[in-house]
Amino acid sequence: MPTPRQAELQAASRPKNAYRLSSIGFVAPSVLLVAVVLYLPFIWTTYISFTEYNGLGDPTWVGLENYREMFADPEFLTSIRNTLFWVVGTIALPVGLGLLIATLSHGMPKATWFRLPFLIPYAVSGVAVGVIWSFVLQTNGALSQALEFLHLPGSELRWLLDGPLNTFVMIGASTWQGAGVNALLFGIGLQSIPKEPIEAARVDGASGFTLFRTMTWPMLAPLTTVVVGLAIVGSLKTFDVIWGMTKGGPGRVSETLALTMFKETFVNNSYGLGAAVALFLTVVTVLASILYLRRQLADSRGA
Amino acid sequence: MRSRTTTGLALLTGAALALSACSGGDVPEPGDGGNGDGNGDDGSSAEVTLDFFTDKAAWEPSFEDMNTASDGLAPQLSFTGYSDPTAYDAFIKQSFRTDERPDLFTWHTGDRLGELVEQGLVAETTDIWDQAIADGYVSEDLAANYTYDGKQYCVPLNVVYWVIYYNQDVFDEHGLDVPTTWEEFTAVANTLVDAGVVPLHQMNIIFEFVWFQAILAGMDPEAYDGLSDGSVSYTDPTVVEAMETWHQMQSDGYFIDPGVTTDPQTLLQTGETAMAYFGTFFTGQLTDLGMVSGEDYGMFVLPSVDPGLADTPVVVETGPLCVGTDSENEQAALDYSAWWMGTDAQSAWSDSRGDVSFNPNATVTDEALAEITAQVTGDGYQQLRRYLEATPTPIYTVAAEEFGAFVTNNDDPMGHLEAIQAEADAYWADQG
Repeated sequence: MPTPRQAELQAASRPKNAYRLSSIGFVAPSVLLVAVVLYLPFIWTTYISFTEYNGLGDPTWVGLENYREMFADPEFLTSIRNTLFWVVGTIALPVGLGLLIATLSHGMPKATWFRLPFLIPYAVSGVAVGVIWSFVLQTNGALSQALEFLHLPGSELRWLLDGPLNTFVMIGASTWQGAGVNALLFGIGLQSIPKEPIEAARVDGASGFTLFRTMTWPMLAPLTTVVVGLAIVGSLKTFDVIWGMTKGGPGRVSETLALTMFKETFVNNSYGLGAAVALFLTVVTVLASILYLRRQLADSRGA
Repeated sequence: MRSRTTTGLALLTGAALALSACSGGDVPEPGDGGNGDGNGDDGSSAEVTLDFFTDKAAWEPSFEDMNTASDGLAPQLSFTGYSDPTAYDAFIKQSFRTDERPDLFTWHTGDRLGELVEQGLVAETTDIWDQAIADGYVSEDLAANYTYDGKQYCVPLNVVYWVIYYNQDVFDEHGLDVPTTWEEFTAVANTLVDAGVVPLHQMNIIFEFVWFQAILAGMDPEAYDGLSDGSVSYTDPTVVEAMETWHQMQSDGYFIDPGVTTDPQTLLQTGETAMAYFGTFFTGQLTDLGMVSGEDYGMFVLPSVDPGLADTPVVVETGPLCVGTDSENEQAALDYSAWWMGTDAQSAWSDSRGDVSFNPNATVTDEALAEITAQVTGDGYQQLRRYLEATPTPIYTVAAEEFGAFVTNNDDPMGHLEAIQAEADAYWADQG
């Protein structure tokens, strides 16, 4: 026989339990969907990475052989090096340039019009960017001809043939595409900064770069975390621009991990090796994201 | 009450979604209808529409022409074309894991077809080949490309002969004649180099292997063949000599810089390169630019590098048209394959594509192509498989990378050959 207090508690918990149950009901389809389209393929890929498999018939278990082969391949190390170039280059150029454009245009009358030309390339697909820039950068292409016409150095450079030069120019092409959207994001961040502390800093005598370094930059931190975080993940997965411009070549000199994964799997039919590269890339991406976000969030908590 | 209803509704929705996800939806069972109105067993295969998949999306108008040609005689094709060969290969492989196997599809010869045969995924066509050979529709040489353990699989979609295309105006301007020996060929190239014209086209992707193929085949066809079964090493003196010859040709300025990515047909049209070594499919690309065979351009078989060879080697590429085993309309698709090899079908195909045919009885409307076909299928010529199809995939993959790097840098050939041989050693060791 429950006490009146217990009866009251039971009565109160009934709707709560029903609510919880209905929540599970609503969430279940999504969980199922994520499990089916994300976790099951992930588990399958992990399994395939321990097998030899050409996409037909049944995979043959080979243990760690694919991983051994992967790390023993000097071209794979080139792929890792190029991926690192992409990460550093993407943070330095599209993100840096985006911040510069946003800061310079902030407060300008009709700033949107200033940012618009930088934003338009974002609407172009990566493969199209690759095609456009390979026309510009091919040997004796538009850039070399322009440099020669202007009697500037560099016309003799083989932009897309020599590594790591080809990786650097492709990061340049990617910057042309991606700087605008970063400028847009930083622009939104700048608009959300309250005016009062900035005004107070101005009254205290801060201006120009000092004002930016001491006031604007710290207040932009939450947005920077997002933009840089997206840039890291995006650059680790870089594929389309490279596929459009060099297909990872000549040879394999401009490959990144994403290209290695694709080529091993679908071009060379080594599904097991491709899966091993995919898993390695996933681990690197997740680790990089966790490390970066933990550090950033720790910083913002400490601030 | 309300919350109980909500809970029930949510659970039901979840359960329904889960069930529909597990049930496989509306995937039809084999033989439950679909496109086919019959399976051909009742003799009505001409009434059937076959699901046809190909990575040659641009060829759709020609396949439509073939539907006109096969009307009332053989099944019709329901066309699905892919533009990206990599995506297409993955799609076909995945389709064999489902109930919807393709009735008819295009594929590759060599190792890639061997993989499908090994898994029993393509229908045997030995009877069709026997009949076609008996009828004189196809040569026994070509059958070798489709033979695994003494049986044939698939039929040829097309054949391509690899020859030299040249810009007629450039040749006329410099008073050049079509070379008939390697010596004459290098003399033509040297004249062009001296005149400031780039003699030959070359790429460092996709077709990076073709000059290795051309030179080695023209130097020692047996060594060229031996690479495909591992009996010859990439570091054998003949192979090294072929690479050295290629190296020298690059050093002498015979080839355009591979960094120039302008289409080869455009380069040939503008005269930026005087010649291009390509398969006869190149005719179609030149026609698209409005170039006329015999007026704007001509073609010739590349002479043997070794003048002592009894027969001039010509590289042949062929792509198969395959029937999926246990596909919904397997018999009708086999009937179509038999019809496809016939003279009427091949004449219609050649007319529509403006290309050569494997069937020597077919009418080839383009005179130059007809001449080349008659030439290379006649005496004094030896047909060899294209390097891409002749080489096991893992070795080809490394070779393509090495040749791409070699074409780009024109450096010491030995390092490249050793890298390819290392992969070849691993591959053949694995084969036991």
